[in-house]
Amino acid sequence: MSWWNSLFGKKARDPLLDSELRFHIEELTNANIAAGMPPAEARRQAVLEFGGREQIKEELRDVYRVPIVESAPAHLKSAFRFIRKSPSFSIAVILTLALGIGANSAVFSAIDAILLRPLPFPNGDELMAISQFNPKIQSPTIFVAPVRLEDWNRMNSTFQAITGYFADDSTETSGALPEKITMAFVAPRFLQVWGIGPALGRNFSHEEEQLGGPPVVLISDRYWRQRFAASSDVLGKKLRVAGAASEIVGVMPASFRFPVRDVDVWSPVQLGGPYTLERTDTWYRTIGRLKPGATVAQAEANLSTVQAQLGRAFPQTDADLAVDVQPLKKPTVTGARKSLWVLFGSVSLLLLIACTNIVALLLARATQRHHEISVRFSLGATRGAVMAQLLTETFVLALCGAALGLMVAGGAASVFRSLAADLPRVDEIRLDWRIVLYSLACSVAATLLCGLVPALRGAGSGVSGALAQASRTQVSARNRLQFLLVAVQVALAVTLLAGAGLLLRSLQAVGRVSPGFDSSHILTMHISGSWGETADMPGLIHRVDRTIDFLGATPGVESAATTAALPGVPGKYQTELRFLEGENDPERKVVVESRFVSPGYFRTMKIPLLSGELCREDAKSTNMMVNRSFADTFLGGGDAGGRHLQTVGVSFALQGQIQGIVGDAREQGLSREPTPTVYWCMSAPLPDPFYLVRTHNNPLTMTHTLRARIHEIEPSRSVFDIAPLDQHLDDALSENRLRTVLLTFFAATAVSLACIGLYGTLTYSLGLRRREVGLRLALGASRGKILKRFLLEGLGVSFLGCVAGSALAAASARTLAGMLYGVSPSDPATLSAVVLLVLIVAAAASLVPAIRAARVEPMKVLREE
Amino acid sequence: MPIEKSDLLQGTLDMLILKIVALGPVHGYGISQRIRQISKEVLKVQQGSLYPALHRLEKRGWLEAEWGESENGREAKFYKLSAKGRKQLQSEESNWERLAQAVTQIMQMAQ
Repeated sequence: MSWWNSLFGKKARDPLLDSELRFHIEELTNANIAAGMPPAEARRQAVLEFGGREQIKEELRDVYRVPIVESAPAHLKSAFRFIRKSPSFSIAVILTLALGIGANSAVFSAIDAILLRPLPFPNGDELMAISQFNPKIQSPTIFVAPVRLEDWNRMNSTFQAITGYFADDSTETSGALPEKITMAFVAPRFLQVWGIGPALGRNFSHEEEQLGGPPVVLISDRYWRQRFAASSDVLGKKLRVAGAASEIVGVMPASFRFPVRDVDVWSPVQLGGPYTLERTDTWYRTIGRLKPGATVAQAEANLSTVQAQLGRAFPQTDADLAVDVQPLKKPTVTGARKSLWVLFGSVSLLLLIACTNIVALLLARATQRHHEISVRFSLGATRGAVMAQLLTETFVLALCGAALGLMVAGGAASVFRSLAADLPRVDEIRLDWRIVLYSLACSVAATLLCGLVPALRGAGSGVSGALAQASRTQVSARNRLQFLLVAVQVALAVTLLAGAGLLLRSLQAVGRVSPGFDSSHILTMHISGSWGETADMPGLIHRVDRTIDFLGATPGVESAATTAALPGVPGKYQTELRFLEGENDPERKVVVESRFVSPGYFRTMKIPLLSGELCREDAKSTNMMVNRSFADTFLGGGDAGGRHLQTVGVSFALQGQIQGIVGDAREQGLSREPTPTVYWCMSAPLPDPFYLVRTHNNPLTMTHTLRARIHEIEPSRSVFDIAPLDQHLDDALSENRLRTVLLTFFAATAVSLACIGLYGTLTYSLGLRRREVGLRLALGASRGKILKRFLLEGLGVSFLGCVAGSALAAASARTLAGMLYGVSPSDPATLSAVVLLVLIVAAAASLVPAIRAARVEPMKVLREE
Repeated sequence: MPIEKSDLLQGTLDMLILKIVALGPVHGYGISQRIRQISKEVLKVQQGSLYPALHRLEKRGWLEAEWGESENGREAKFYKLSAKGRKQLQSEESNWERLAQAVTQIMQMAQ
């Protein structure tokens, strides 16, 4: 490495140079002595003959010098001098770059945290999400029975361990008031699979994971701080959960918040208990840790073989099941992936615009510095040296921009958190060395992008024409390049703005949609319940029905209902059904959305009854309603009353009778068209369904009243997650909104940058052509004509940019396809509005230089020369 | 009258050094002595030109250097020709011949 030697080889080389030269002098001395001189005189003559030793050494050192490295400090110094000398120019460049690099680093920090970094567990890439499914039907019964999970864990050869978990709300009653806690029930080997141990205390022991072992729990850091004030003698204390007193054996680290962010307590599900033996149970979300070196495909093949063996051993329950293995990271972040890449693409465009802008600035600057550079050349600077000098200047500017940009990126994490708290892993976004490195890389890229062309041009002028000042009378190609750059900026800005416009229009369209239900004046809430209650279904149903009736009878409440899933909040639950009466067409399977609601749901949500009658809940048989789409698709629009439907392929077969047809509603999300849907009339399909309460006035004012009411009849249950339905609907759009807000912001920035570029270029061009303008005016051109000329120049170049931008926008809009609603990617209205907007802004930006051009005083300009 | 470096054609010194070194490994002092002796005291190379030239040629890879013992048993830096240097010397020699012929012809004609 010659630059290394150049800097650090000096110390090693110097003594060698010295002894080589000394040898020469000694040989000369010897020759002189041999010729008969006395030793002292011989040496004096030799030294004389040899000449300036230090000078020779310095020349030898020169041989090994690498000019660019050794002159870097000088370049840096002169770059700082340059920046100080022209503060407004430097500030403009630094701010532009800070914006470009900052936005880029900010989005990168999100991408890094959410998509790139492995999950925050040791060897997180070994963690796999495992699910079972029945390939014959669409219904996702991904949850795994405890026995099957143990079989998998025992029989596979590609996983270190497999475990499972499910989260459940529970009530802790050891304190003064019952408190809602979030529990995670976990299969054996839970912490072993994550590879994380408790921060305090110990993991569950083997006995504690078996039937009959002592009941124990681990608690989360959050719960530890909130409930026990982070006291260290928490170990051994008891929590009363679901009636049993469980000993606390450990506290997990703050960073461990799995399976849900607000988990309070982990409790082992003891193996061999009465509930854990049924193969048809669907309990666990399952994860496994791969053996080192095993691939996802191997693991899936291996588990499939295991499942096939189980299928032969238990044909009733296991024969139809297949296994799916995916990296755990994938399902965690799937939704956000596309949004983030779109944002990343747009900030990269923004950075590109910023760089283009700076190229134009630097080019203008280089013309002004023509004189200085010529002087450098005539003083003997090489082309490389001048280029290095110019690039160093740009690099220092880019570095300042990156430093400022890092601050922008640092602030961005909180913006992400506040705008899209639902984004997965959003709390992992932070500024660290990876982001710093990324920003640095950005600034190097920016230096090359911005600096290379101006530096080549600056250094290219050479000595020819040195000191000859030609720039003032020249209208050269230099100018054309700058206008080309403006056109590029406009094109990129149009692309971004078109994307933002499409997203804005779809957000508007979603807002205008009529969902088929009335979400105003609806308060939603949960009341704690646990899966243990499902052992006594009639009791559970009775309890929930009583609560619904009680809520509905509260003054100020119009009606109340329960549902398993909130209407309009994206989610799908597809099941396959078949009619019990008549022939089922095997070619046309009845795969429909299933929703579980209490009979009062339709009145509460104001979903109209179209024919038949509303269902009633009946202890003996299940009733159901279907929506209009279902009736149109599967009943030929005819009368539905009385036909029976039964689920297909699920172990616990549900069966019900259609009572009537209701209107279509956008249950699966406001931006999704209603699909054929079956409403099963069950008020308690799960122990803590959503309660929906329609109030007469603003639902939030009823919060306290309702809480108190429930406390009257259910003193040991907690009420939580009270929020208006509108807020849930709003939250469901938060990712959508975040990307729209950000993209709009980027697009606005891009347009302003492009306009600044246009303004700057026109002003600069005016500076070059003042003489020409003066001459024209002196020769009788009208001021109006000059104004028009400059205005048209600005508009012409913008128009070119718009044309190119439209093409670019049309091409890139396809990446937005999945995110748009109610507007096509090539929506001509949006595109023409964008072009019109850009042209108006461009005209405004051109107007000032144009007016200035028209005001040129011919006599003054002509006298200047 | 001895001719000093400044009077030599540019690049000639490099060629002379390569030629001398081609005869066998030799140190800087030896090179300056041989140039003097062979040219019968006409060419006298200043150390201020010789050593930078040697190091430049070494850096270019035309010369290889090695520390060894001199005739009188002292540590000295010996230079020898590399394969690359040999090729360079050949091309410089043929160039030189053509140049010398051309110059001679012109000078004779002018007489």
